[in-house]
Amino acid sequence: MKRETDYGYEIKPVYTPKDIEGLDYTRDVGDPGSYPFVRGYYPNGYRNRVWTRRMTAGLGSSMRTNESLKQYRAMGQTQGMLVICDRPSALPIDADHPVGRREAGVLGWHEASLLEFEELMDGIPLTGQSITLLGSSAMSAMRLAYIVVLAEKRGVDLKEVHGSVTEYPFCHTFGQTDHLPLDLLIKLWLDSSEYIVRNKIRMRSGILSQHFQESGGNNAQALAVEIAQLKELLGLLVNERGLDWEDVAFLPYELSSIGMRFFEEIAKVRALRRMFAKMARETFHARSDKACQLLISVHTSGRTMAYQQPLNNIARCAIETLAGAIAGCTAIDNACLDNAHAEPSPFAARMSLNTQHIVSDETGVTDVTDPLAGSYYVEYLTNKVEAEAYKILQQIEEQGGMIAAVKKGYVHNMMEESARKKQKEVESGERLIVGVNELVIPPEEEEAIPIQSVEASDAEEIAQRMENWKKTRDIPLLKEKIARLYSDAKKGDKYNLMPSIIEAVKAYGTAGEIMGVIRMAYGYHYDPLEMIYCPFDLK
Amino acid sequence: MTDRQRIKVLISVIGLDGHFTGAELVSRILMDAGMEVVYLGIYQTPEMIVNAAIQESVDVIGISSHASNYEQIHLLIDLLKKNNMNDVPVICGGAIPKQHAEVLIKKGVSKIFPPQSTSESIVEYIVSTVKEKA
Repeated sequence: MKRETDYGYEIKPVYTPKDIEGLDYTRDVGDPGSYPFVRGYYPNGYRNRVWTRRMTAGLGSSMRTNESLKQYRAMGQTQGMLVICDRPSALPIDADHPVGRREAGVLGWHEASLLEFEELMDGIPLTGQSITLLGSSAMSAMRLAYIVVLAEKRGVDLKEVHGSVTEYPFCHTFGQTDHLPLDLLIKLWLDSSEYIVRNKIRMRSGILSQHFQESGGNNAQALAVEIAQLKELLGLLVNERGLDWEDVAFLPYELSSIGMRFFEEIAKVRALRRMFAKMARETFHARSDKACQLLISVHTSGRTMAYQQPLNNIARCAIETLAGAIAGCTAIDNACLDNAHAEPSPFAARMSLNTQHIVSDETGVTDVTDPLAGSYYVEYLTNKVEAEAYKILQQIEEQGGMIAAVKKGYVHNMMEESARKKQKEVESGERLIVGVNELVIPPEEEEAIPIQSVEASDAEEIAQRMENWKKTRDIPLLKEKIARLYSDAKKGDKYNLMPSIIEAVKAYGTAGEIMGVIRMAYGYHYDPLEMIYCPFDLK
Repeated sequence: MTDRQRIKVLISVIGLDGHFTGAELVSRILMDAGMEVVYLGIYQTPEMIVNAAIQESVDVIGISSHASNYEQIHLLIDLLKKNNMNDVPVICGGAIPKQHAEVLIKKGVSKIFPPQSTSESIVEYIVSTVKEKA
């Protein structure tokens, strides 16, 4: 068995004060609540507020996902909801697109219009819990518009709504479904982010290392990529959009993937807090402590959920949840025991949610903040992963920063190489996975688990409904709003499209229509798959 | 593989699935094993895959899939039949639940490799299938 870190450094049998020589507690670690925030942002840790224990929802129609959310609430998920979108709306194309209708509702809910968001949120409050919608960067501006419009319709103060509905523009580089050209994704991300910051909306934007890591990247690479993208994207908001760092610092949140390398996962999150704090002060000249703090959520790794003997994944999920809790985070959502098979069944969802409550309520982990601080090993690992991440960050900067490194394929190659290495380590038996390359049982002895699936008929039903519903809209009003959006989209990169997107969403323009028209203004085909044409007469 | 020394495999992700890691990894594994790989990437419709399979006259089609309704794979099998290409075996890999795997096998998929399948098992299967055919 290999005894080295996830990022390739040998691990010794014991660690002593020598391994952290030169570590100055006040300067390099600090009390919880003090710079550089290795130990977290709150002196009382989870005693003030336990992390949000939530589950990913989203499959099939908006009505079906609404039912799941209500089920989760009944299971005890009341602090926040997390919903993932389907493939067509992530692209985005509409359900009634010839390809969209084959996969509407696959992998998540179909979120292509305000109508669907209204159905998703039927009987569910917009406030009093965090609202998180995930699944693509292209939909960021649309989702933000859904929030703005539904709050207005319900007479809810927009400033009372919190959560996150927008996402960083690199998802598709890391295996997600986005299909807009990168430059347009960046422009729209900047628009939605600027709108959030200028209007003081309490919505965060996901700038995540999770997708990168779940696609095979290692812990040190994940840190480097996270800091590189934060630096460049937030830098654009400060330098190009003229926003103050003190406000911009409240925008991002990180979803950190926590796998099975227990101590390394904890060290990674501790190092990330220090790296962000340093960047805030040194690069962006942060004036307040608050502007040196990155909101960090945890996703327990789907990649580590084995297909073989899926009930073993309950144990993995518990260990990863404990690591996430010890590392310190604001929310956890678990990959479920059936992650290698399908989207979470109600059975698997309940197991995951219960696992989080077992960790938070039975182990005592919420009693003491950052309990592993001062461990020679954990402090060593925190320093080590940080040092390694800075080396990789340096390489990304030499490529010209995150955007340039993505365009050159540098980040993708790094990720692929790491994924291959991990695969080889498992095949050679250097890394052991129970049920996969150790304690294997014949397939016929495998325990059966319930599987939640979406059928082709479900997709067709969503498509049919959209096709019929589209005809019932106020077409003259929609045409007017779409025409305005089109002309605004021609006004250049820095002209913020959020107000005209909000107007088009309010008139029930769909994702395919709204993004299609923006695409056209930028000289692209209306349809990312080049199969259908713009139904509007644009001048 | 009558007039060719190397086995030629088409690898693609199907439909709107963007999860390319598995497909890329398997492509590498097959290339390392000396096979020729035609890698189509993501956003490939069944029609595009069949066209490429014809043009490149591949021996095997490999489809990577991460949680879907599998309608796209059914369409692919139908299209292959329509084009008299029943002799080109379709293998699938990825997060495909047993229940769906059984339906896909009935439909005509020749083999399904679940997550954590070994490189060796994939390579061996392709080599023996192509030999059998020849």
